[in-house]
Amino acid sequence: MISVRDLTKVYTVPIKQPGLWGSLRSLVDRTTRDVVAVDGITFEVPEGQRVGFLGPNGAGKTTTLKMLTGLLHPTAGTCEVLGYRPKERATDFLRQVTLVMGQKQQLLWDLPPRETFALNRAVYGLTRTAWSDALDELVDLLDLAEVIDRPTRNLSLGQRMRAELCAALLHRPRVLFLDEPTIGLDVEVQALVRRFVRTYADRHGATVVLTSHDMADVAAIVDRVLLIGGGRLGFDGTLPTLSQTFGEGRRLEVRGADTDLGGIGLSRDDAGTWFVSGTAEAVNRALSAVLQAAPNADVTVTDPPLEEVLRRAFRAQGQAETPS
Amino acid sequence: MTPAPDRLGTTLVRIGRALPELARVSVSRHVAYRAELTLWILTSLLPLVMLAVWSTVTEQAVIAGYGQTEVARYFVATLIVRQLTGAWVVWELGFLIRSGRLNTELLRPFPPLVVQATWMITALPFRLAVLSPIVAALVWWRPDLLAFPGWTALGLTAVSLALAWALNFLVQVCFGMLAFWFDRSDGLFELWTSLWFLLSGYVAPMAFFPDAWRGWLDWLPFRATLGTPVELLGGFSDPSRVGLDLFRQAAWVVVAFVLARVLWTRGLARYGAFGS
Repeated sequence: MISVRDLTKVYTVPIKQPGLWGSLRSLVDRTTRDVVAVDGITFEVPEGQRVGFLGPNGAGKTTTLKMLTGLLHPTAGTCEVLGYRPKERATDFLRQVTLVMGQKQQLLWDLPPRETFALNRAVYGLTRTAWSDALDELVDLLDLAEVIDRPTRNLSLGQRMRAELCAALLHRPRVLFLDEPTIGLDVEVQALVRRFVRTYADRHGATVVLTSHDMADVAAIVDRVLLIGGGRLGFDGTLPTLSQTFGEGRRLEVRGADTDLGGIGLSRDDAGTWFVSGTAEAVNRALSAVLQAAPNADVTVTDPPLEEVLRRAFRAQGQAETPS
Repeated sequence: MTPAPDRLGTTLVRIGRALPELARVSVSRHVAYRAELTLWILTSLLPLVMLAVWSTVTEQAVIAGYGQTEVARYFVATLIVRQLTGAWVVWELGFLIRSGRLNTELLRPFPPLVVQATWMITALPFRLAVLSPIVAALVWWRPDLLAFPGWTALGLTAVSLALAWALNFLVQVCFGMLAFWFDRSDGLFELWTSLWFLLSGYVAPMAFFPDAWRGWLDWLPFRATLGTPVELLGGFSDPSRVGLDLFRQAAWVVVAFVLARVLWTRGLARYGAFGS
């Protein structure tokens, strides 16, 4: 489905010295430097999988998505999506993929979304029946009936984003690339978008590759997480595995114990609650011991927030701490 | 199994099928932006100014066979041809590339330049609608300004107009695509426009240039974008040279098309896809 081998993207960016002298000098002596945005990453995504592509700002997530959709040409390495090389922009490839970028729009600003949908029917070569069926389904899932015939400029951000999703999926793509799809949306619309992506992917067996700053998106949508930092891939696995690997913040709390649990490694706070924090494995061992020593106690195990897990994961990879 | 590449015939059929809907949506956009379009059209009325200037000059003496009547006929034809061959794709492309809005176009299985061409061709009826009362008033004032040139000349004018439109569009596409390399590609187009004003026949008929200059000026692309159809429409063309003039236009269209293809392919390879 998606096959990436040693994929690399290097941007050449001009460097200009500050001030007038720097401006004049750049006219005759143009200095550039290479910035490695993606550094030889390799991975596969099977059909129907939902993958979260996570990393700090500037890690190379969006650059990778743009190479996978053919917008950017790789500097080295290869990528194939559905058997196509994206940079060739074959018609049949473009008919089977979509890229949704939060806050960026394909909707025609002064016309109602229905006009953009009609335009997409023509440029994707959809039959009227296929278009109409897809439109009915998406209007229902995205709750768009009220807004489809109002000029786009008069729609709220949430309404526009829902209409954008509709426009991006009218051709029923098999692969969805979603770059920050919920950025800037209110909580209600974020939830709707997450629900919609899951429903669409389940119903049509679509493959999803997602980047997001919002960990709720990741938790709600993806089956698998790829961590990228400094253009390189780090962790590759499921969310539970990610939590186990980097989830040192897992905490076990025991209340109402009628025995001293200090002997099995727990500490006691001022309120009399026994507790221990550590890796998932350590906490699980402690839990087994607590259940044997104090079977009637009230036991609570809490996972650290996903943001915290990712911060630790990025730190472990030597990256900045802002998850994105 | 490696997927089959796109075939030219299939692509053309697909484009042909999409064109009616594309044209309909384009017309809707023009209606939405009608005020802006009207202002844009009215900014191209320089030929009326040139008509006044050259009328005054030719009041004193006939220049290269152009008296007041000929000058008036020439600039009315210029006014019409300018409106029917105008495009603004250089600014559209520059904006799309610099802002990253080209991403949206590239993700669609449809040539972005066909979308642009359709948008600009569907502006022609609006241009005619704004132009018609102006031309009607001029012809009412001076009925000899727009003599019927005959069906053959009219047919050749139509061919020449189509070639001039295509050349204008493709030249602008080439300059617009320089935005893949330069931040301010508009400035380079301004340079072209300055030369175009002088050498296309827009501010003065090409006949006003010395004969020695005409030999090579006629081979440049500028006259092919405006002067050639103006001379045909105004009845100034030498019948023995019409074939050569049309050939020059067609040749420049081919050159511009090939150049646009090369720039497109190379530009996409270095496109940064920044922004949206």
